[in-house]
Amino acid sequence: MPAIEYFEVECTEPLGGEYYKQITNDVLLDHNLLRVMHKLHVFIDPKIPLFIAVGVVKKVTTLVRVRDIANVNPLEGKIILSISDETYLAPMLKIFWERFGKDHVEQPDRFTVILYGVSVDPKEIEETVIANPSEALYKDLIYALRCIAPEGFRVRKETYGNEKFSFVASEDTLTENMDARIKEKFALMGETP
Amino acid sequence: MILVPITYRGGIYRHNEIIDLIEDLGGYIVQKHLIAQEVVLQCFVPKDDVELIRTMGKPLTGDVIDSPLVGTEIAVVIPSLEIHHLPHPACDIAEYVRRLGAKSNMIGMARGVGKRIAGINDEERDVINEHDIAVYVLGNFETCIEYKMQIIRRGIEVPIVLCGAPNKEALQKIINPPVEGYVGNVGRFMHRTKESDELAKLDEIVAEITRVLEKKREEIAKDPLSVSPARLMDVIREQVPAIHEVTSPTPLTVQMSGLRVKLPYDTYASVLRKIEIEDGITIGDVADILPSRMRDYIIIRIHLFSETNMVI
Repeated sequence: MPAIEYFEVECTEPLGGEYYKQITNDVLLDHNLLRVMHKLHVFIDPKIPLFIAVGVVKKVTTLVRVRDIANVNPLEGKIILSISDETYLAPMLKIFWERFGKDHVEQPDRFTVILYGVSVDPKEIEETVIANPSEALYKDLIYALRCIAPEGFRVRKETYGNEKFSFVASEDTLTENMDARIKEKFALMGETP
Repeated sequence: MILVPITYRGGIYRHNEIIDLIEDLGGYIVQKHLIAQEVVLQCFVPKDDVELIRTMGKPLTGDVIDSPLVGTEIAVVIPSLEIHHLPHPACDIAEYVRRLGAKSNMIGMARGVGKRIAGINDEERDVINEHDIAVYVLGNFETCIEYKMQIIRRGIEVPIVLCGAPNKEALQKIINPPVEGYVGNVGRFMHRTKESDELAKLDEIVAEITRVLEKKREEIAKDPLSVSPARLMDVIREQVPAIHEVTSPTPLTVQMSGLRVKLPYDTYASVLRKIEIEDGITIGDVADILPSRMRDYIIIRIHLFSETNMVI
């Protein structure tokens, strides 16, 4: 399956559009967003001025669980967690503190967490959900689109839901009915907003 | 004696001999870099002696290259210091001209972004005017460049080289009154310039800057400066010990018709004015010592021969 199914940059100035396609590609690549992007249509008209980006992202279903980042070893009276990936360590500790209290959670070094005197099945610990990466996706996406959009387009309108997003930016007040334009751009990709 | 800008690059072993030679020949060392086992000297040397330096440097694995940008201060002007322009392409350009001997400063405007909302303030204008040349690095759209260039060049008296995504002819067509130099197909991009065609573009920018500066040099040659900026640098270096305490990479920045001294104006302006260059002629006699808009530095503007009636 290709990384991105539909990727078009529509611009009233052909050369500018070409450069913007390159910029869009570079920014999405830098922010690791190219792999989650399914469809993307960008429209730029420097005369109005207006920047519209609409798209569909792939469904991110994977939740991060304790077993994804740590090995759980039950011993007598304690459970030792050997951390292999520190990325989600902080949210995991937060969950443990809330659930068991700080007295029962100890972290002697970077890669070890010990739970003392907790009467929980180790299997249940392994299955505990600690993070949902799709929550951060929206923030990352909007940040990336702000980098892509021509600078100075500070009046923005953005929507996100059901794996679809739209981003409209201009340096003037958005007076026109943008929803109609967004719908039109979604239609080009064969989608509805 | 005509001084030409060159770069000497060679091994660190016995490099002092080269420095002595340049000084004995009446040349000036503008910048000296020691990088690992290598020494890079950016200097002005008498035109006739370039070959001598080349011959003397040979046994020390030294190489002499012409560097027309040595002794110039270049402003790389961008609409803002946001991620849209930094580090690519603005830093790439600034760094590239630096490699060829120029001193480049990056000027990100406070409100240079957008089309209708773009603007320049007096501080930015004055800072740009303190340089030898301003390289404007603008974006990808003809419409925007045409519209905003009128605003952000307001009050700029130094030559301008304009870089933008439209091709050179298109840029020439939309800019009125014309600027001194144009480089097309260099707009906003967000990746490092490492491909050969991108590096060729950087070379094109340098060539355009060199061309414009050459023109300016010719203008200066018609009515020469009362004292060479490089010589003034040497005099200040010898007579103002405080300059050695400044931690900036270039405490004395040589320009084509002046000098930037990175010392506080209030304390040192009068000291500099009284420094004798030769035969009782002081710096105050041949140059204006003015406060710079860049921090609290001093900018020295050297008078022309027609104003002072002397060349020393």
